[in-house]
Amino acid sequence: MLKILIPTLMLFPTIWFSPAKWLWTTSIAQSLVIALASLSWLKWSSETGWSSSNLYLATDPLSTPLLVLTCWLLPLMVLASQNHISPEPLNRQRTYISLLVSLQMFLILAFGATEIIMFYIMFEATLLPTLIIITRWGNQTERLNAGTYFLFYTLAGSLPLLVALLLLQNDSGTLSMFTLQYTQPMHLLTWGNKLWWAACLLAFLVKMPVYGVHLWLPKAHVEAPIAGSMILAAVLLKLGGYGMMRMMVMLDPLTKELAYPFIVLALWGIIMTGSICLRQTDLKSLIAYSSVGHMGLVAGGILIQTPWGFTGAIILMIAHGLASSALFCLANTSYERTHSRTMLLARGMQMILPLMTTWWFVASLANLALPPLPNLMGELMIITSMFNWSHWTLLLTGLGTLITASYSLYLFLMTQRGPLPSHIIALEPTHTREHLLITLHLIPIILLILKPELMWGWCF
Amino acid sequence: MNPYVLTILLSSLGLGTILTFASSHWLLAWMGLEINTLAIIPIMAQQSHPRAIEATTKYFLTQATAAAMILFASTTNAWLVGEWEIHQLSHPLATTTVMLALALKLGLAPVHFWLPEVLQGLELTTGLILSTWQKLAPFALMIQVAPTINSSLLIAMGLLSTLVGGWGGLNQTQLRKILAYSSIAHLGWMVLILQYAPSLTLLSLFLYIIMTSSAFLTLKTNNSLTINTLATSWTKSPTLAALTALVLLSLGGLPPLSGFMPKWLILQELTKQGLPLSATLAAMTALLSLYFYLRLCYAMTLTIYPNTLTATAPWRLNFTLITLPLSIITILALGLLPLTPAVTTLLTL
Repeated sequence: MLKILIPTLMLFPTIWFSPAKWLWTTSIAQSLVIALASLSWLKWSSETGWSSSNLYLATDPLSTPLLVLTCWLLPLMVLASQNHISPEPLNRQRTYISLLVSLQMFLILAFGATEIIMFYIMFEATLLPTLIIITRWGNQTERLNAGTYFLFYTLAGSLPLLVALLLLQNDSGTLSMFTLQYTQPMHLLTWGNKLWWAACLLAFLVKMPVYGVHLWLPKAHVEAPIAGSMILAAVLLKLGGYGMMRMMVMLDPLTKELAYPFIVLALWGIIMTGSICLRQTDLKSLIAYSSVGHMGLVAGGILIQTPWGFTGAIILMIAHGLASSALFCLANTSYERTHSRTMLLARGMQMILPLMTTWWFVASLANLALPPLPNLMGELMIITSMFNWSHWTLLLTGLGTLITASYSLYLFLMTQRGPLPSHIIALEPTHTREHLLITLHLIPIILLILKPELMWGWCF
Repeated sequence: MNPYVLTILLSSLGLGTILTFASSHWLLAWMGLEINTLAIIPIMAQQSHPRAIEATTKYFLTQATAAAMILFASTTNAWLVGEWEIHQLSHPLATTTVMLALALKLGLAPVHFWLPEVLQGLELTTGLILSTWQKLAPFALMIQVAPTINSSLLIAMGLLSTLVGGWGGLNQTQLRKILAYSSIAHLGWMVLILQYAPSLTLLSLFLYIIMTSSAFLTLKTNNSLTINTLATSWTKSPTLAALTALVLLSLGGLPPLSGFMPKWLILQELTKQGLPLSATLAAMTALLSLYFYLRLCYAMTLTIYPNTLTATAPWRLNFTLITLPLSIITILALGLLPLTPAVTTLLTL
């Protein structure tokens, strides 16, 4: 664990002491080395389920893929921000990269934590850098509103969680993830216990976000700069799914009945957000709503508590993290050229940037879950386990898949195909940096087809 | 002010508080409080401005009322029980009166109305003394009498204070008033835990003093009294502007900053004592306070246009005097959370 954490910590001196000319190069290089080193977590030798553990931090099959995803995303975020941050004063560039690095620190500590309170604190600690990234480096004035929504939705959900966790600590005497699953099952009968159950999950459902408490997400995505959107879509939402999977172990006897409204909400959310995507005009907002839909599927998969549901949820989280982050990067390349997120104003890009259209094509296909890609594997596993749980869910999940496919195609056709508007006359050609950025997103997705057991979670 | 006079005033300010700390007899404690009040009055009124005079008068009246109530309560107790000792205060009439009097002295809801008005009339250094040093003596008494006070009264006052502190600050544009409401909210947290873990009250008080001193000293450095003037503070000192946003969020209690530590430990103690509902309510009212801290952050740090501005930093940097205390206290206000295990160990000693 420290092999990754200390180099990440040493990124701060790299950022602040490297000469201006080398700032971006060195920070990208160092973070990429960290990302490559983090791949060693994927080599699995432990029999107990936990490995590379010390007193406070450890990895297990559930957290490893998310940890590697976190480390992988940092160089990509820096790479993606280079174009729009580098005109700023030097100190602000350094502050910006430092914020991204601090976010990575907190995320590693959150996913690696073996004590639930520590996980909670790190979960909350990620709010601060994200808030600053959104409200300080966003573009429109609505970013302040987005920051407020982001902070208050998350905190209103997670403060009851803190109280619930402290109650659990009093009850069971420990909050260590190593031992909690072996503690006595609690007798949960009263109304207070049911509220406790809800408080344990609400924070994560808000963070996912499940439909109904999702309003902060499109706002935050639309207003955030590219790195903020990437980390939000790729990793921060997955904190919700990860936390839910960790908490599920302790909530056992109650979940069976109490989960119904949330499963309904999650599944209904797939349809609703998909329909919202179909009539969306704002590029980033569309991708954000598509995230809400996919996360609804993840929430459903986790809430029915079957091994297939869990495995599907984590596969979908990883695959969606890479695909949606790639889509946000693509949206940003188009935004940096046309200075508009409105899809109607930036059509027919295939004429000008044909290679970029290829990337759009692959990323849209990944988003709509084309057969060999891991996205499909995740969705299929969740849909199968939902179907096994209740046949009627197929109506919602099947329709949801159909709508996902339609809006992904709509996204692709709207931005890439068709006639070129006459106001687009002088677009900058694509940079090698941008091709590299998208390639680094798509390579893991494609390679994961070959070895999906890396992200099968506990059921490997 | 003449330095000799100021020395005498400040030393009697210290003397009054220390006398209260050291006393076991109600009369002596009352005397300490009175010396303390009388010493700060000329400091408050040194700016001969109608608002300052008004603030001084209001402060004098409330403190005198509170001191009279304390004297009345302790006499009543001596009459009914026959004891002048501070922790022999046992008659319910006396304990409740003392609690209300101390609440009035501190500015706890529902007797908090004077605090924003008074703080608004003072200059920032005096305001800093009022919201830090002046809280110590009443808390010393309150911790001693806490075991005999009706616990539902304490919890009701604590919750009401966190609520009122959060709610009242939402509508303000004056920074001193906002800090006053923040003080009310923090006092609410301290009173909430008073009976269950007095050491946590002290911890919470110390951390509040650290954080609010950092906030006051920053405002003093920037010389800003309203939200509008905060917006240009980054041109004076960009680093300070960036750190102040974090200090404000630390006051709001966001992890991973120091301000989360007392909130966390207090919630832990409250749930341990079987009061999860009060804990949840207190946590949720903290969101109200967080809203105005966040607004200050927006005004101060987060809404600078992300491109180069033509404005330059001013060439006068005349705040060498308070830079050292400011930097030390800001570091403390931001980075103490990792020390929580050490602090909890110290608390159990």
